[in-house]
Amino acid sequence: MIRLSIIAALLASATAASVQAAQAPAEIKLGTLYASSGRYASISMPVFDGLKLWIDQMNAQGGAYVKAYDKKIPLKLIAYDDQSNTATAATLYNQLITQDKVDILISDSGSVLTSVAVPIARDHKMLLIDQTGTGATFFTPDNPYIALMADPVSSIWPKPLADFITHDGPALGIKRVAMLYATNDFTGTQANSVRKFIKEANSGVEIVFDTGVPTNTSNYTVLLNNIRAANPDAVVHLGYAGNDIAFLRNVQDNGIKFKFLFCIYPGLESELLEKNLGKKALDYVFTYVPSSAIHYQTNFGMSLRDYSGAWHKKYANAHVEFGFNSVAGYTTGLVLEKTLATAASLDQLELRKAIFSLSGNLKTLDGTFELDANGAQIGEITPLGQFVPGKNGSPELVTVWPHAVANAKPIYPRP
Amino acid sequence: MFLYSLLAGFLFGLYFSLIGLGLNLVFSVMRVVNLAHGDFLMLGAFLAYWLFTLFAVNPVPAVAIAFAGFVIVGLPLYYLLVPRLLRAENPEMLSFILFFGLSQVIEAVTTIAFGTSERSIPGDQLGRAVAVVAGLFAGHTVENGPVELLGNTFPASWVASGIVSGCAVLLVYLYLYRTRLGYLTRAVMDNRAEAIATGIDVHRVCAVAFGIGIGLAAVAGVFAPFMLGSITPAMGTEVTVTAFAVIVIGSLGNPLGTAFGGVIYGISYMLMQSYYSSWANVLPYVLLIVILLLRPSGLLGRQVRRA
Repeated sequence: MIRLSIIAALLASATAASVQAAQAPAEIKLGTLYASSGRYASISMPVFDGLKLWIDQMNAQGGAYVKAYDKKIPLKLIAYDDQSNTATAATLYNQLITQDKVDILISDSGSVLTSVAVPIARDHKMLLIDQTGTGATFFTPDNPYIALMADPVSSIWPKPLADFITHDGPALGIKRVAMLYATNDFTGTQANSVRKFIKEANSGVEIVFDTGVPTNTSNYTVLLNNIRAANPDAVVHLGYAGNDIAFLRNVQDNGIKFKFLFCIYPGLESELLEKNLGKKALDYVFTYVPSSAIHYQTNFGMSLRDYSGAWHKKYANAHVEFGFNSVAGYTTGLVLEKTLATAASLDQLELRKAIFSLSGNLKTLDGTFELDANGAQIGEITPLGQFVPGKNGSPELVTVWPHAVANAKPIYPRP
Repeated sequence: MFLYSLLAGFLFGLYFSLIGLGLNLVFSVMRVVNLAHGDFLMLGAFLAYWLFTLFAVNPVPAVAIAFAGFVIVGLPLYYLLVPRLLRAENPEMLSFILFFGLSQVIEAVTTIAFGTSERSIPGDQLGRAVAVVAGLFAGHTVENGPVELLGNTFPASWVASGIVSGCAVLLVYLYLYRTRLGYLTRAVMDNRAEAIATGIDVHRVCAVAFGIGIGLAAVAGVFAPFMLGSITPAMGTEVTVTAFAVIVIGSLGNPLGTAFGGVIYGISYMLMQSYYSSWANVLPYVLLIVILLLRPSGLLGRQVRRA
């Protein structure tokens, strides 16, 4: 009798194992979009290349470990080019879900190309792995199908900037602020936050110029003249990389030297901006200090130094600059790796649960991965930095706020 | 603020006249819509960028190189594409498709060659040339930097671009109205069938016009890094649309009309940027619709286009 029971148990376990093995897919399908051309190509391709680097690394090791099947499974990337066009992106996101039936849906880089994915993913009950779409409106209590991987949500990006202006600013002489921003989810949200933080601080700082321009604005000469007429102590420009290049170039060409000038992308894509504007154009410009400039202690994945080395080796001739966005794509991969190794199944809400379980515990080269209840990233903060002339003529990015992480004092007004 | 917007708009508009000039010439002579016009401009921009980064060639000589180079490219390209197109029943409509395809090919090849990121040429490069020229006129050394016009300062590159654009409009005008080939070109513009009947070598005339058209686009491209912030392989489409608006505002077939259309566009754009900045980029489309509704022949046009 005992012998029969043992045989039955062995048969049952063997059957269960074979069923599990049979159910395990031959590959995990990751679906994403990228923009090889158009306005957002320069922020999309580095993210895409970073993600690809991670996938190639995984597949070189036999795939990613998937806890649901207790085995390594190769990753298959299905990627389409949306050419920076939101209408094309919407069609392709639908295609990834309904035709390709991807297991994991990953959005293109940036808020503009992510914005169309948010409702589509929600309608199809697919968890949107949002790489760098940071618009605050994406994250609502009634939408469990989104999680932001690699950038803090836009509403908290400018906190260090606004805190610096309202706390240290008045003592330095900053009382009048001019703000120019591109009207999209990414920078529009940041502009709203700057307004809110400055108002709430009630420190006597007033916004004397507050204007939004279309994201495809490429000429700022008249706007700069209008800003100058408002006589600000500090100028905050919030735009994408192309906007920053055009804006800083017009500042330079018009011979303007604002006492305090903040732009987003000099810190985020330093290589790109230096190439376009020359080294001197970035001197004394305030910017965010991104993960590509801070060596965070990691508990998972490559360090910044190792990743930078791997990137430059893999993409030596690819015409894509290394920067904040290339870190973001790789960070997405790391979070997915941990998620697959944690989730009990590939059910979308189970994946979400697994991602949330990482919050506060996962430390990558992008900083501490931390989500709020709505899936917005709140961990990978962006301190305020300033470019100062370096020893060899190259601008050097130093951190000036918050005081806890600052390694230099701000230079105000700029010489 | 108003005066500054007006002056900036004038300079900016002159540049857009240059952009529209080549497109207008090609359409007027051949009745084909060159949707790759902005991409030829982009290629001119990348040529200037390439000449500067590899050989430190200043953008001023790059203007001559770009023009000559693209005229030479334009001649065989005309014989390759346009005569077959003109034999079709509806060449104007087919030209949309053909040049759209060409535009996509140019963009894709440039992306492979240069990548997708923004590229630029330092702003002081044109300023240096302006300072040298201004120094020759003034008889003393002129500092490289912004230029003062009526008490307002503008980037030297804007002034250089404005001067070259003005000269280009003038030269095209002189070509059309003061040269034998120009007379023949106008004859083809006026009535192609009659031009053929009178023995004019229409293809030769059209090939030269096509070459000049894309040569002018390339010259505009040399100034693009200075006027449009930076250059990317994908910039062509937006440029083509704006150029199309400019030539419709001015009038098809008239270089002075294009100059006028450019200046109207530039001034309106800068005034919009000053007073209703969020709406500034809608302007070309609004102007296009208004002009087509109220005066389909353009502000300086005499007749509605035939096609």
